[in-house]
Amino acid sequence: MKPLDPRLLRYARSARGYLALTVALGLLTGALVVAQALLLAHALGSAVAEGATLSAIAPLVGVLAGVVVVRALVAAMQERYAHRSATRAVAELRERVVAHAAAVGPRRAAPADGASLVTLATRGLDALEPYFVRYLPQLVLAATLTPATLLVVLGLDWVSAAVLAGTVPLVPVFMWLVGVMTQGRSERGLATMQRLGAQVLDLLAGLTTLRAFGRERGPVARVRELGDAHRRATMGTLRVAFLSGMVLELLTTLSVALVAVGIGLRLVYGQVDLVTGLAVLVLAPEVFLPLRQVGAHFHASTDGVAAADRAFAVLEVPVPDAGTRPAPDLARGRVRAHGVAVQGRGGWAPAPLDVELAAGRVVALVGPSGAGKSTAVEVLLGLLPPDLGHVTLEAADGTSTDLRDVDLPGYWRQVTWLPQRPLLEPGTIADVLGADSPADRDRAAALTGLDAVVAAAPDGWGTVLGAGGAGLSVGQRQRLALTRALLRPTPVVVLDEPTAHLDAAGEQVVLATLDALRDAGCAVLLVAHRASLAARADQVVQVTGVPGSDTARAGAPEQVR
Amino acid sequence: MSAPTSSAPASSTPASSAPTSWTPAAPRPPRGTLRRALRLLDVDPRRAALAVLLGTLALGSAVALAAVAAWLIARASQMPPVLELSVATVAVRAFGIGRGLMRYLERLVSHDIALRGMAHLRATVYDRLAAGSPRALLAVRRGDLLARVGADVDAVGDVVVRGLLPAAVALTLGVGTSVAMALFWPPAGLALAACLVAAGVVAPWLTAHGARTAEERGVRARARMSATSLGVLDDAGPLMVSGRLDGELDALRAADADLARAADAGARPAALAAAIGQLAVGAAVVAALVTGVPAVAAGLLAPVELAVIVLTPLAAFEATSLLPAAAVQVQRSRAAAARVLALVDGAGPGSTAAVGEQPSGDATDRPDAGTGTTAGPVLVATGLACGWPGRPAVLRDVDLTLAAGGRLAVAGPSGEGKTTLLLTLAGLLPPVAGEVTLDGVPLAGLPQGGVVRDVVMTGEDAHVFGTSVLENLRVARGDVTPDEAVDALRRAGLGLWLDALPDGLDTALGSDARTVSGGERRRLLLARALLADAALLLVDEPAEHLDGPTADGVLRELWHAPPTRRGTARGVLVVSHRLSPLAAADEVLWLADGQVAARGTHEQLLAHVAGYGEAVRAEQQETS
Repeated sequence: MKPLDPRLLRYARSARGYLALTVALGLLTGALVVAQALLLAHALGSAVAEGATLSAIAPLVGVLAGVVVVRALVAAMQERYAHRSATRAVAELRERVVAHAAAVGPRRAAPADGASLVTLATRGLDALEPYFVRYLPQLVLAATLTPATLLVVLGLDWVSAAVLAGTVPLVPVFMWLVGVMTQGRSERGLATMQRLGAQVLDLLAGLTTLRAFGRERGPVARVRELGDAHRRATMGTLRVAFLSGMVLELLTTLSVALVAVGIGLRLVYGQVDLVTGLAVLVLAPEVFLPLRQVGAHFHASTDGVAAADRAFAVLEVPVPDAGTRPAPDLARGRVRAHGVAVQGRGGWAPAPLDVELAAGRVVALVGPSGAGKSTAVEVLLGLLPPDLGHVTLEAADGTSTDLRDVDLPGYWRQVTWLPQRPLLEPGTIADVLGADSPADRDRAAALTGLDAVVAAAPDGWGTVLGAGGAGLSVGQRQRLALTRALLRPTPVVVLDEPTAHLDAAGEQVVLATLDALRDAGCAVLLVAHRASLAARADQVVQVTGVPGSDTARAGAPEQVR
Repeated sequence: MSAPTSSAPASSTPASSAPTSWTPAAPRPPRGTLRRALRLLDVDPRRAALAVLLGTLALGSAVALAAVAAWLIARASQMPPVLELSVATVAVRAFGIGRGLMRYLERLVSHDIALRGMAHLRATVYDRLAAGSPRALLAVRRGDLLARVGADVDAVGDVVVRGLLPAAVALTLGVGTSVAMALFWPPAGLALAACLVAAGVVAPWLTAHGARTAEERGVRARARMSATSLGVLDDAGPLMVSGRLDGELDALRAADADLARAADAGARPAALAAAIGQLAVGAAVVAALVTGVPAVAAGLLAPVELAVIVLTPLAAFEATSLLPAAAVQVQRSRAAAARVLALVDGAGPGSTAAVGEQPSGDATDRPDAGTGTTAGPVLVATGLACGWPGRPAVLRDVDLTLAAGGRLAVAGPSGEGKTTLLLTLAGLLPPVAGEVTLDGVPLAGLPQGGVVRDVVMTGEDAHVFGTSVLENLRVARGDVTPDEAVDALRRAGLGLWLDALPDGLDTALGSDARTVSGGERRRLLLARALLADAALLLVDEPAEHLDGPTADGVLRELWHAPPTRRGTARGVLVVSHRLSPLAAADEVLWLADGQVAARGTHEQLLAHVAGYGEAVRAEQQETS
């Protein structure tokens, strides 16, 4: 992991301006720190050594006060813009990740280490804030303030500069050494820690189940044991992890102490003067301060940096080239899948499959769960490129176009897709339906059983639904979506398990809708679990998956280990 | 320290009698929230004092290093005999080493305190939830529960390391340094104290205020941002096909812009706090210089001492510089504490009973337990209305009797409160009206564990633990043998599945059954129920996610469940949306419009209830 990943600046443009500002403020801070040290040393030196009066050093003190005020302003400015830029950069990354994941398909964009894409996009990237607000400015100061002060000390007193310069490279060397020696140990400790933590949470998650069997009391002792084991494992890791911090502090503080002692002894012999000595004494800790701060904020920023790494990995998944050829009119054309198959975890789901969708026909995909029915739908809709075979769109005149070359939005405009959980935009029931005339609306609603839903809704047709149809059950949402499909029939209609959340009576409604859609001339693709539904189809396509022998193993690497 | 005694004082605090609401915690938790949560951490005061002492010594070393180095250099410039400086040179080096060493020890001690506290708090939460009202658990979503016990408990523990200990160290050190400076020259000590207050009290307050502003203003935008991100990632395909993806991405951008505005509003006080923190250091130095120089001229202060009072403040602000972050942490921890306490309070007072062996099947508190081994238990509901507490009943006027050997089925359209009925029959929810009795005793009057001895419910969302298949089955009963486990799995229709598992019964399952499919999970839960010693089984939708023939097979096995080990015939109540297999039931309750619309055998309902007959015919069509 790099301290400053150039990809961060590439993907989050607002981070660039912020970095420039931080560098500028860092340089300014360097100058101010040096000025403050020199002014203070001169004022104090002349007062201590020569007994100068307040009026004699008044100009120096005045300028010193000015420097102090400007330093405060710089600090305020850094803080002011750090928060703003952090939020903007995080937002930029989030939008890119979400948009990119949508474009390549969330399944292929999912982080390889099993972390959830949603968690990454929301809370994960938010962890970048400490990185931007705390870590990055200190990193910049380590690159500006440390060399600047070191150079000034060199100009004042080369012996002290040598001591400090000798220590600076030791800091990363020792930290690296400690890191290498402890890495294996702390990784093992970390794994133990996480496992123990997960076990406690697992017991809690299953508490209701344990209660149902009257076995909830036993694990209380187990939770205590796990908590204790978790503490011991964590402390073992921390004992090692904090070592690097200790080495850092020991080196830097001892180095400052040695500089002070060295100056003191040389002052006795008159080899340096008091003002120089004071200036070096004030500047010496400033050489190490940014390095120590980088170390202190390193841990707080690691979560964010790890999240950023995952985000970059998502952004680097290539987007398939968008097709450009216009989609043919499917009202008189057809969609055809030729031997499409998709490789899943340790097997094919679906195994090679032929499907043909044509106007006024209902095709049902049937097969056991996990055979790849929903995957086949995604392939037919152009959302997922098949690993074998291809999908073509055929115009009325017989010319066929590979789906890969087709401008997909043009194809999608001719498709209505009802997934298992139908998506509805917020608004009133009437808005969502968007019927031309109330008569059409009522006829369609009577067919799908939406009329009963509307009758029970608090404000009838004017009932406001939240995003996703909140306020309606899944079954009711399905009826609403079916009604909409009836009112605005598109050439292709895809129904994914439309009866999954319905009882037998609700199923009748779906069957009636299916007939109405066929009569309206739609090419209907039906994913069916129940045989009664498949019986209504003009053609039934059996979807089979070919599982690999190692499916179970591939699914649970961490359990098997 | 043993757990029961340590949790006793906490359980004696009066839990609020107001009805518990599970809406997210209010933005400002009530006063005393954090203090109550801290008590639950059960921090050992001696360890805490040690941590403060070590922390003060660590940062004190840095201050002392600066003071002694200033003295050394000022004195050395007067060219005294070198021997006179030897104590100072040794002290400077000692302080240089002491700082790192003390800091290391302090971090270890303080983290140990926090981790002990977190473990204790987690065990307390588990204990209360296990012993308290079952409703408290049912009312929390699983993800929410894990967040409260995971991240929130961590946040409460963090307040020790990142909030309270740094504050205590800063206070001790600030007072010590100010007094020491005042001994040299009182005005310098006073000025330093004033600047420390500005940096250690005013700046942290402003920072916390800024963080709260950003959080409060951003809370809606954050919710919108999360919901929109989730929506796009969950349903990217449908959104693209319906042409709504761009609109959703615009909504995400808008939510993020609102979030940025909220962060901006919070950044203003934070910037002021940063300026104050930086200004305080300079002001303390300048004040010491301005008041000290005339004092030297007046002979009130030695020149060497002037160097000490001017240069020491440069090192004195390290402790206060940690406090703005500490203030934010305290705020965050307080909100987390409120959520954890809500969970604990909702469960009611915890038990102080000794934690020991599992009470599997030895609850003998019921008067007639043991006498009815042949007849078996009888569960009777009379005039039962059930629903979630505080909400209207979803189902009314239910009368049913489930005896050993009986076969009952409950069917009806979705949303009719079938799951709620099962929870009430199992004693996990109190009846809204009417009553449920077990062998004539109302469930509410039975002791903890008295119900589960005879009645076991398998819900739709029962948990599959992150352990082996066998251990998952042993949840029902601690002494399930491998043979019994295999038998139960075969009965549940998982024989082939078991044969395909790499390590058989010892195969590890993922937490929350990530590696088993929905249908396999249902059957695993069913196998678990079959292994329980209880004679009466309440099973929620055992056939969901299964294809027709498999579903019928599973239900058939359930109707013919073997008797318990004590020889009592099994009584089974099944909630099912599949109707054909209900022909084997003694009685079917057909629910509609919030009550039992019809009841009788499958044949009777088929003949006389229009809706039922229609539904069965539709189902048979599909099976043929």
